[in-house]
Formats: sequence, C-alpha cells, structure tokens
Amino acid sequence: MNNRAVLFLLPVIVIMSLSAFIPLITVVNYSLHYIFSGSMPQYVGLANYVEVLRDPEFHDALTRQLVFSTMVLAVEIPLGIMIALALPRKGIWASISLVLLGIPLLIPYNVVGIVWRLFTQSDIGVIPKVLGFFGYAYNVALDPIDAPLTIFILDVWHWTPLVVLLCYAGLQSIPDAYYQAAQIDGASTWKTFRYVTLPKLRSVLILGVLLRFMDSFKIYSEPLLLTGGGPGSSTTFFSLFVSRKAESYELGYAGSVSMIYLFIVIVFSFVFFQIMTNIGKGGQTK
Amino acid sequence: MGIVLENITKIYDGKTVLNNISLDINDGDFVTLLGPTGTGKTTLLRIMAGIERPDRGRVFYNGVDVTDVPVQKRDIAMVYQQFINYPSMTIYENIASPLKISRKKKLSKKVIDEKVRANAKLLGIDHVLDHYPEEVSGGQKQRTAIARALSKDSQFIFLDEPLANLDYKLREELRGELKRIFRNKGGAVVYATPEPVDALAMATHVGVMQGGEVLQYGPVQEVYHNPSCVDVGSYFSYPTMNMFPARLVKKGSRSLLAVSDNLQIDVSPLSGKMTREDYLLGVHAYALSITRENDTMIPIETTVELSEVVGSDTELHLDYHGIKLVMLLQQLVSIEIGEEIEVYLDPDRFYIFETATKSLVAKTGQSQAA
Amino acid sequence: MASIELRNLSHSYDVIMGKGEKASFSINNLNVRWEDGKAVALLGPSGCGKTTLLNAISGLLKPKAGQVMFNDRDVTMLSTKQRHIAQVFQFPVVYDSMDVFGNLAFPLLNDGFKKNDIRGRVEEVAEILELQDLLKVSAGRLTPADKQKVSLGRGIIRPDTAAVLLDEPLTVIDPKLQWTLRRKLKQVQRRFRITMVYVTHDQHEALTFADVVTVMSKDGKIAQTGTPEELHENPDTPFVGYFIGSPGMNILDCSLTAEGLDFDGFVIPVSDELRSRVSGPGDGLQLGIRPEFICSRLEPENGAVPFTALIIEDTGAYRVLTLTMHDIRIKTRISQAEQVSENDTVWVSFPERHVKIFRDGSRIY
Repeated sequence: MNNRAVLFLLPVIVIMSLSAFIPLITVVNYSLHYIFSGSMPQYVGLANYVEVLRDPEFHDALTRQLVFSTMVLAVEIPLGIMIALALPRKGIWASISLVLLGIPLLIPYNVVGIVWRLFTQSDIGVIPKVLGFFGYAYNVALDPIDAPLTIFILDVWHWTPLVVLLCYAGLQSIPDAYYQAAQIDGASTWKTFRYVTLPKLRSVLILGVLLRFMDSFKIYSEPLLLTGGGPGSSTTFFSLFVSRKAESYELGYAGSVSMIYLFIVIVFSFVFFQIMTNIGKGGQTK
Repeated sequence: MGIVLENITKIYDGKTVLNNISLDINDGDFVTLLGPTGTGKTTLLRIMAGIERPDRGRVFYNGVDVTDVPVQKRDIAMVYQQFINYPSMTIYENIASPLKISRKKKLSKKVIDEKVRANAKLLGIDHVLDHYPEEVSGGQKQRTAIARALSKDSQFIFLDEPLANLDYKLREELRGELKRIFRNKGGAVVYATPEPVDALAMATHVGVMQGGEVLQYGPVQEVYHNPSCVDVGSYFSYPTMNMFPARLVKKGSRSLLAVSDNLQIDVSPLSGKMTREDYLLGVHAYALSITRENDTMIPIETTVELSEVVGSDTELHLDYHGIKLVMLLQQLVSIEIGEEIEVYLDPDRFYIFETATKSLVAKTGQSQAA
Repeated sequence: MASIELRNLSHSYDVIMGKGEKASFSINNLNVRWEDGKAVALLGPSGCGKTTLLNAISGLLKPKAGQVMFNDRDVTMLSTKQRHIAQVFQFPVVYDSMDVFGNLAFPLLNDGFKKNDIRGRVEEVAEILELQDLLKVSAGRLTPADKQKVSLGRGIIRPDTAAVLLDEPLTVIDPKLQWTLRRKLKQVQRRFRITMVYVTHDQHEALTFADVVTVMSKDGKIAQTGTPEELHENPDTPFVGYFIGSPGMNILDCSLTAEGLDFDGFVIPVSDELRSRVSGPGDGLQLGIRPEFICSRLEPENGAVPFTALIIEDTGAYRVLTLTMHDIRIKTRISQAEQVSENDTVWVSFPERHVKIFRDGSRIY
C-alpha cells in the first residue's frame, strides 16, 4: 500500500519541485543580491529586506491592502448572510436564484476587469452617466476615492455570491429540530438567529472569512485592468506593488518584497489551518 | 476443510487492533465473533475474507495459504450491516447477479432461474422479485443481500452485523431463519455481532473478543456454561452476568466466600483450588428469583433502580449495598423506582472467578455434587 | 400540567422522495385521551405517523381536521409557545454557543423571569438531572447523553409546562448508557408528575417508560391504548399481539365448528363460554396465543396437535422453539431443562384461558 502511494505521489513531487521549489530558491537568491540589468549580481545579505521594510511605498501598499481586505470582509460577510437568509429554500425559485448568484463567480478575472472598465469609462460608461444624472461627477481614472471605491464595489459584486453560497449550504444543513426547539423555548427571531443560526454557520463563516481575506489579499487583475493602479497609487494594492517592483528590474528588491509577501501569506495560512483544525476538535464530543 | 488463522496481527497507526489471533474454523461451523464495538471483529472478518491484509500472520483456506490472494480471487461472499444491493436492478436481478458473472462456470438461464427462485423462497422474498430495492422494506433489502450471497455458492460466507440496522421485530424473525438457512449449506459461516443473543440463538461456535484478542473460542454451549474469565462471563450473557465481589474467610473447617454478613457461599469442597483472598461471584440474571423455591436459597434485600420491559420479560435493575444487579423475570411486572424487594439466590448457581487473574476457578453446584 | 385529548384528529401530507416518487404520511381520525401526570408512550412502526401526531400536539403543525385539547380546552389553533409544550428531539438539540446553564436558563429568560428566580430554578433542575457539575461547560462539548439531558432540562424548566413530548430521544445514545437515561426520565416524570408523551418504535422503551401505551398501526390509526400489562395480556388487534412481546403472539387462521376451533383440519375443543361469546359466523376467525402460554410435550396427549420442531434458538434464560405443521408456523418458549432437538415431533395444546379470538382484526374473545 505505502509503496504504491509513493509511486502515485512521484509525478506531483517532480512537477512541484520544478514549478515551485526551484523558482522559490531563485527568488530567495535574488533577494540577497543587488541586481541591475546587465551587471553582475552583488551579494548584500539582508540589505534589500531592510530597505523594503523602511520603504514608505511598501507601507502605503500594505496599509491600503489591509484596509481594502477588512472592508471586503466587513461588507461581504454580513451581506452574504442576509442574502442567504432571504433566498427561497425549496422549489424552482431556489434553483433559479442559485444559478443567478453563481454567474459572477463563473466570469474570469480579466473579463470582469474589462467589463467593469467599460461600465466605468468616463466617456461611454453607464456608471458615470447615471451618477452624473444625479449630479455626482464620477471619474474612475482621475478621482483617488472613486477608483478604489469602484474596485471595492466590483469585488463585492464579484465575490459576495461565494459567501452566499457557503451560507446557503450551511443553512440547509441546520436540522429543523433546532428551529422547532427555539420556537418551543419561546426565542424571538433575533435570539433564534443569534443562538441557532449563527453558531451553526460558524464553520462555513470561518471558511468564508479566510477565503475572502486571502483572496482579496491577492487582488491583482481587477485594479490592473480597471485603473492600472492609479490614479496616483490609490489602487496599487499589494500584489500590484510587488509586480511593479519586479517590472522595474529592481530584481533584488522585488525578490525581498516577494519573500515578505510569501511570509505574510504563510502566516495567514497557518492561522487558517489552526482555526480550521480547532473547529474540528471543538465539534467532537469526548 | 475450513479456515485457519495463524497469529494474525493488525496494526493501524501504531495501534494494535488485532493481537496474535489464531483460530481453526471447520466446514459446517457457524461461528460468531462476539464483542463490543471497536474490538476488532470487523477487521478480523475483513482479514479472513481478504479485504484487508494482516500485518503479521497467515490465513489458510482448506490448507492453502491465501494471505496474499486478493478478495476477487477468493471463493467467498459477504453481507454487510448496510443493505448493499444494486439499486438499478430488480430483486431478481440482484440475486442473479453473482451467477451471471460467475468465473467458475457459465450457467444456463434455466439453472440461474431455478437457483434465484430457490434462494428467494428460502429467504421469503419470492413475492417481491420484480421490485427494485428502493421499493421494499429494510428487512427485505437485507434478505436480498443475503440471498445474493447465497447464490454465489461460496464455501465461506462472512456476515458483518447484518441485523444491526433492522428494527427489533425483524431481528427477532431473521435470527431464527438465518440459523435454518445456513444449517445445511456446507462450508463455514462467520458472523460478527455485538449481541450475545445472536451467538446463542444461531451459532455452533463462538469467539468472544475484547481489545483485539479472542478471549475464548469454542462450541457455544461450552463457552456459555464455562466462561474462561470474568470478561467472557459478563459479555457473553444476556442480560450481563451479575458480579459480587467476595472475600474468602475460614469459619472452623468451612471455607466461605463472603459478600456481606448474610450473603455467604460455602465453598469448602473447592478450598483446594482457592488460594487467594478476593474473588468475584458471578450469577446469571435469570438465576435470581423473587420466589424462594427451596430452603437453601439465600435472601437479599435490594432496591429497585428501574424495571424495564424487554419483550415478554422484565429486567429489574437492582442495587445491593452498592453492587448493581440485574434480574430477569419471565413475565411483565412493573415496580416503581426506589421500592425495596427481597431477592433469592441459589447457592448452586454461582461462577467463581479470581479477582486478580479474572479467570474462572469453579462453578458452585457442579463440583459440590462431584 | 395538563391532560391531552385528541378528537377526530386527521392529517396527511406527501413527501417527495427521490426520482419523483411520492410517499404519503397520514394520521386518520384519531381519538384518545391521556390523563394529567401520566407517562404516555406512543408506539408504532416507522412511517405510521407518530411524529406527525407529535407535531400536531406541540403545535408545530396544524392538523387538517379535528381538535387537540389540553385540560379540555381547545388549543388546536394556538401556537407552540402559547401551549406551554416542551419537546425533546431525536437528535440532541442544544445551543452550542452557550454553556449548560445558559441552555437551561434560555426558556426562562425568553419568558422574562427574574435573574434570581432563574438561578434557583436552573440549579434545582440541574441537580435532578445530575448536571450540576457541568453547568459551566459549553453545551457543544457534552456527550450525546448529557446533551439529551440538557434538552430534557430545557423541557421541564418552565414551572408551567403543560407536557413534555419526547421524539425517540434515545436514538443516538450509546446502548450502554440508555438505561441510565431511561431511569432518569422515569424519575423526573415521577417527581414532577408531569405529562410526558414518549414517541418510539421500540416496544422495549415504550413499555419500560410508560404507564399508558398507545399503539399505532402502519395505516396511521390507533390500534389500542392501555397499560403494558393490558396490551400484553389482551391485545385488541392481532397487530398489537404480534408487535408487543417477544416473540410476538402467534396468530392462526381458524374457524369455529360444532367440534371446536378448527385450524388446518385440527380441532381443539372449546368451552361453552367461548362459544357463546364468539357469536356470528364461525369462519374468518383468527386465533391468537402467546408463545409462553403454549403447552408443548414430546409425548402425544389428548387434544394436542403434533408439530415438527423446525428451529431452536437459545437466549440463555430460555429457548424459543419454532414449530411447523403444513404451512403453519408457531413459536413457543421452552425452559432450558426440556430436551428437544430439531425435527422432533412436539405435541402442542393451547390452554383456553390464554386463547384470544379475533374477527376482522378486532378481538372478540
């Protein structure tokens, strides 16, 4: 049994080492050198890391990212729960609403970016026209508040359905007996939600929070296509910042930013893993 | 002819689930592997059938080592706790399925039809042959699975708690029928179950298992009447055998096993075998009585903890100085919780176990007569 | 606390199963009265409408016809909350995010009780249920048995609970712990003299728990209501006779002729009293007798009928003998002392005082 399992794993191990491990080593190596195009790399130890951590641009990008991700969670999770609660549970309308909700999830990232660029384009877009009608001068290309707000709304539109679907599945799995018990115990609607629905949704909600946090942390193609990170740096989120640095041929610097990015992702993954496994333990009875 | 297990050991994640088990099962035996959940019955059954491999030890069919032969190539049939049938086939097709794909020999349609109908009749499902498994009751589903196993005509049939998911009336019905069905089958039947009554009612042989070991193996009546140790005695009895902790005391020339001031059993004829101080006196639940049948019976004052109706009998859960007892009465009575009742014990119906080694020393009535 | 009465209660609904099939569940014109303070069991095979009936009593479901009366007051249209009903479900329902104390206090909090009164009451109930050491433990971490005790506790915590309904509450409890919980239930019932309706398909649980058992048959009708002893001794229908007791009552088709009760050519003489009570046509009758009341001997005897021993099952305390003659099969119980082997001829007689006679599914003698 065991020998065969190793055999099956072998291709994965080979491909993984080629596609992930070797590039990773390369990046680690880059991050320890000064590299300018054409010239010989020069070993500098951790100097690149020090520079990154002191870089105000880095701080800006990270702060912007954290604000964005927090807002995403603060809006998408409650909104998702509310929509899931409002959805019909049975019959044809349940299927129809699930399909409609699923549509945004099926559109590729880059198409989403392009579609929204058309929506928001200041000369022909629907959104500036409508908002203009109400007297608001909307300009995604020039206004440093309109731009990130638009990307935020785009993200809410694109990803809230995921939270809805998770919650919907979670709701379906709550046995009727719990609601009947709450009814018998004389619980109000709010108390029923607070002590039955919410605790029973806990595991799917944690999953939703972590997925949305990690995913929003990686947001890249939407700001790239919609605003190109601007105006100014108002939509230069973290991964866009990293790729900008790499494009500017500051390979050593970009390498150390990447490593820091990787570190942050690993920390969150670890937290994710811990929480998920603890949920499993909490559910078990001795 | 039969199945031989030699020193079977199975380890999961560093935990020994089966420890050095050797068994000798002959053709014609109906063997029950009896034990609580998680004791390794199912694993042992699966190793016998070839679904799992032992980490150590060998399995022989008719003297041939089959340890490395995969289950597909063995001549066996298996029935599971869940009702496993092909959902898209009728009951008829389900029962016929092993005959149609038989590797042994091609059978004519007529022969298959005869066999299917014979097995269906044996299991009492000949009137639902045209139905699909979904359309019949749980009992009929399991009957179908058993008929399918029978039509494979295998030398060995393994059953893993086949009655567990049936309600109690169906269990009661099928238990007797299974005994009849497998009686003349040739080959061997191995049946894993946590229910002592299954073993008593159906089997010729029983292996009482606990913690990955077979504590005792032998003909059912022999194991039942001569349990080798406390664990076999208390598990292989229904309701559980009562155990009184007792102390060996000398009164003049007499040796007594004393439970309390008034519950003392004379064991003088056995004193040669009794070398320790602490013993357990075991007595079957149905050996307790609420009527004093003769003068030798010892009365004890007990408190009723619960009276339970089981079928046409009553199980009284009693407390005697902190010792929990169960008494089986073959009638319906209802006694309130907390009531005090006098119960009589027959001094000739005790099993004496050593507390330290847990092993059976003697039975009271028998040896005194001898 | 209240008596519960059902008057002409009917309900039916369809459940859509897989593959577009429909299964109908119904209860049919039920009439029964359970007195205040009784331990009642509602016993029936799965699918007979027990849970539907329970939901009609608790108010989770409005019946299509008929009335539910508590203490002779019509509550059919009242909500669950207004009925002051408590229910314990098949799977333990606890509020995971609260501790045991919070769970027990929840119904009282919702009813607006004062903090101090709540504490006293919770402690009292926790002590009876032996939960006092677990009050601070999160309810999600309890064993299924303790969770079920907590749901029972929530049921009895209100001082004005009219009745506690229990829907197969021991299903998920480890068989070894079941009897302790059964005992606890019975103790609580006795202590508070609270009306409890216990729904189950398991006659063992029903007969152990209840003062009064109502047996439902597969078609959603009430077959009989009575004490466990009454159901066992005098079943109203062959179904009750078979369903209660182990093994169930033997039911044989027979007819009453001038010579006596005739089944399959064998005639057993009957007394004049039996004859006078079985009025009407002599055919289409069924004879019922419990296995433990059948007399069986290995030697021929006057009036005894020869059967062949087909199966002998040992249970430890006694043996169950399946006997056959032509197409008839009966079961008897014999003691361990009797020497019988398979295929022996066994002479069987039915003592008349234990014989029951049924016509069209109801007992007439």
